[in-house]
Amino acid sequence: MDFINETAAINGLADYIVKSGACLYNSVKYIYALAENDFYRVNIKDVFKVMLNNIPDADKLRSLGLRIDDRSCREMQSPEYNKVLNLMAYSLAVRIPVMKSIKCGTDVISDDQLYKIYTAVLEKGAENYDDMISETFLETKYLVRKGKKLPPFTADWYKTYIYAKVPALAEITNKNMFLLGAADMLFSMFYSCVQDGLAQKVLEYVNGADETNGEDDEE
Amino acid sequence: MEAVTILFSVKENNNLYKLELSKALLNMVEFDFTFFWEKCIDAGRTAKKTGRLPADAIAGVRSIIADFHPYTAALINSDFHDIVTDCIIEYICQSEKITADELWLRCISPKNMYEETIFKRISEYKTGRASNQWNNIVRIQEYAKNKILFIYDTDEPGTPLSTETIRARKQYFDMAFSVAANELGVQGSMLPSARVSSPALTPNSVFINSKAAKVVYRRFEEVLRMADDMSMPDSKDCTAMRDDLAMNAYFYVKGMKRPDDDDIKYAVDSLKNAVYEVYIPDSFKAVVDMEFDLMEKHGIVLRKCEGCGRYFAAVDDGFFCDRVNSSGTTCLDHANALKKAVADASEKASEQHNAANMSEKGENVPDELEKRGRKIYKELSGKVGKEMDENELREWSRYLSDMKRNIELGEAAVEQLEEFLDYSDKFCDEVKNVKKADISSSTARSYIKINRPNVRMADEDPEMSHIHVPLKAEPEVISTVQGVTKIVSADEINIRPFVPETFESIQEASAFVESTAVKNTAPPVSEEPAPQKKSGEIKAFEWKRMTREEAYSMNSFDDDDE
Repeated sequence: MDFINETAAINGLADYIVKSGACLYNSVKYIYALAENDFYRVNIKDVFKVMLNNIPDADKLRSLGLRIDDRSCREMQSPEYNKVLNLMAYSLAVRIPVMKSIKCGTDVISDDQLYKIYTAVLEKGAENYDDMISETFLETKYLVRKGKKLPPFTADWYKTYIYAKVPALAEITNKNMFLLGAADMLFSMFYSCVQDGLAQKVLEYVNGADETNGEDDEE
Repeated sequence: MEAVTILFSVKENNNLYKLELSKALLNMVEFDFTFFWEKCIDAGRTAKKTGRLPADAIAGVRSIIADFHPYTAALINSDFHDIVTDCIIEYICQSEKITADELWLRCISPKNMYEETIFKRISEYKTGRASNQWNNIVRIQEYAKNKILFIYDTDEPGTPLSTETIRARKQYFDMAFSVAANELGVQGSMLPSARVSSPALTPNSVFINSKAAKVVYRRFEEVLRMADDMSMPDSKDCTAMRDDLAMNAYFYVKGMKRPDDDDIKYAVDSLKNAVYEVYIPDSFKAVVDMEFDLMEKHGIVLRKCEGCGRYFAAVDDGFFCDRVNSSGTTCLDHANALKKAVADASEKASEQHNAANMSEKGENVPDELEKRGRKIYKELSGKVGKEMDENELREWSRYLSDMKRNIELGEAAVEQLEEFLDYSDKFCDEVKNVKKADISSSTARSYIKINRPNVRMADEDPEMSHIHVPLKAEPEVISTVQGVTKIVSADEINIRPFVPETFESIQEASAFVESTAVKNTAPPVSEEPAPQKKSGEIKAFEWKRMTREEAYSMNSFDDDDE
């Protein structure tokens, strides 16, 4: 695909993917915070609406009065849980080959460009910690090339990681159950929205909208 | 009545605010939001163009609401901080006929600060962290208006309501609200309420009385530092745990001994200006209801001004307010002035009415009689010092004047004046006839007997014998001889100059005077009975000064007689 500035486009797209991973990470925290104090005050439907309409800016959820702090998310204040952020970015990175389906006229993103994006995402911190995510970039690339259906983007690896590495969240509590139940719904919906966001971003870079986007990012 | 002021505190605020009973309420119900509404719409239009709400304009517009009520002033930087945004949201929803939810969805991915402001604000509505305060104050104003109307309005203007009536009406109004809330499932704990507390027990007392609190804290600093945190999540309902929580907190200071006098003195010094009680309302409606309750407690009654139609705090049984209006006066002043003006106008109208009645009843004295009166006066004045003295002339003249005035006022008839002048003419004639009789000494005379005890007839008075009437100008005078009226020509009267008595000594003069006095006291002997005059034709005349009232009564008496 012919980008006006390919380096900027690759960096921008990689940045978007990493930010989306961070957005997913924070969204999960906001949902957990909701279960602390605001279960009956905040409608989870509104949380999803705000979250999915503002990827990669999860902090829009603060508008609903939700706050991530030591008190509401104290079970998530551990080094083990912090690695979820890298895992989430990685879970999105391995699906970068799906961007092959984005077309600008007849032009599509080349394999080389996809790999550059993947590499940039890994450089920004995406990591398959303890091989928690079974999918790989090459596997996804293969499935896309063959036109085969990809497995759904689920929260299975997340739950597995929680059970294995974060016992505080693995306990049977109202908050934890609410979190794990919401995560199932969140992950699949979130990935769908990230795909749309990436497609829009690619077209922006192709059409030279990267400069305006850059200004937006600065804001 | 002195103004009653209370103090209240609000959440998340360390200040105490004053609220003057009835004044705050009346100011609130009369507050005009037009200016605020227009300014908000202007700010919204500007924000739509620029993508950002103008901060300066917003602050200016917001300050308008601070004047609405002490409660809005107290919370202008918290609950009412975003009231301009609330007003803009309401305007958009009304003008575009959409709900706040739809507007929220429209702004869910805000493209500028303006949309983000709206999105955040509606998110606060949705999560119960705020309500549209613009709608709130408008509805509270309506609530207060309706409550005033329900309690204090009267169908009988000018009749003050009794305390019992006011209390009953207020209770009924509040009960109607409670019934509705209960039936709709709004629990009592969710409804607005206000509580009263001593200054040291208000939620923010530690911060309000920070000096005293610091002194106390220093004593227990070590113990409190080691204690567990007892804070609870905001969402946790602690209603049933209040005593537990309180006693758990008290546990750490229960060993407190009375401090040194110096510490006590310091604490007292910092608290001595504190008030006895502080009210803590949890909502705007609670403040309004609290104000109604306290007004009743302090005997403050609202009444509708019969001048301007606005409600005011009545200090007595008056029905006019003392607000200064655009003309610089108050309704009370205006009413008093009006009352005075009405009284004056009434008096004036009464006078005019009387005058009109008089002018309707009265009539002018005919010129002919005026001339005749002047002529007789001239004649009588010529006799002053001779046949009559000056006082008699003055009394006659005054009687004539009164008679003429009474005719003009309609209280006497022209005929009465004519009778009086006739009598006066006759009086002059008598004098002339007496003189003529003296000259001829041959004609018997008869006089019309008039009931005038203080006036002597010329023939009865020896002094009259030397009266000489100079009536050259009169062609004819009327004389009555033996009951027959006879015309006597003035030429027939022989006129001679008056020669006064002369005496050699004072003793001689005194003797003459005494002898004259003896003659005067002798009863008059009439040769013939006086002809009977028809009663009422000629009035009995008294030569004495009469007051107006006496004159009126005489006339009325005469009228009655007639």
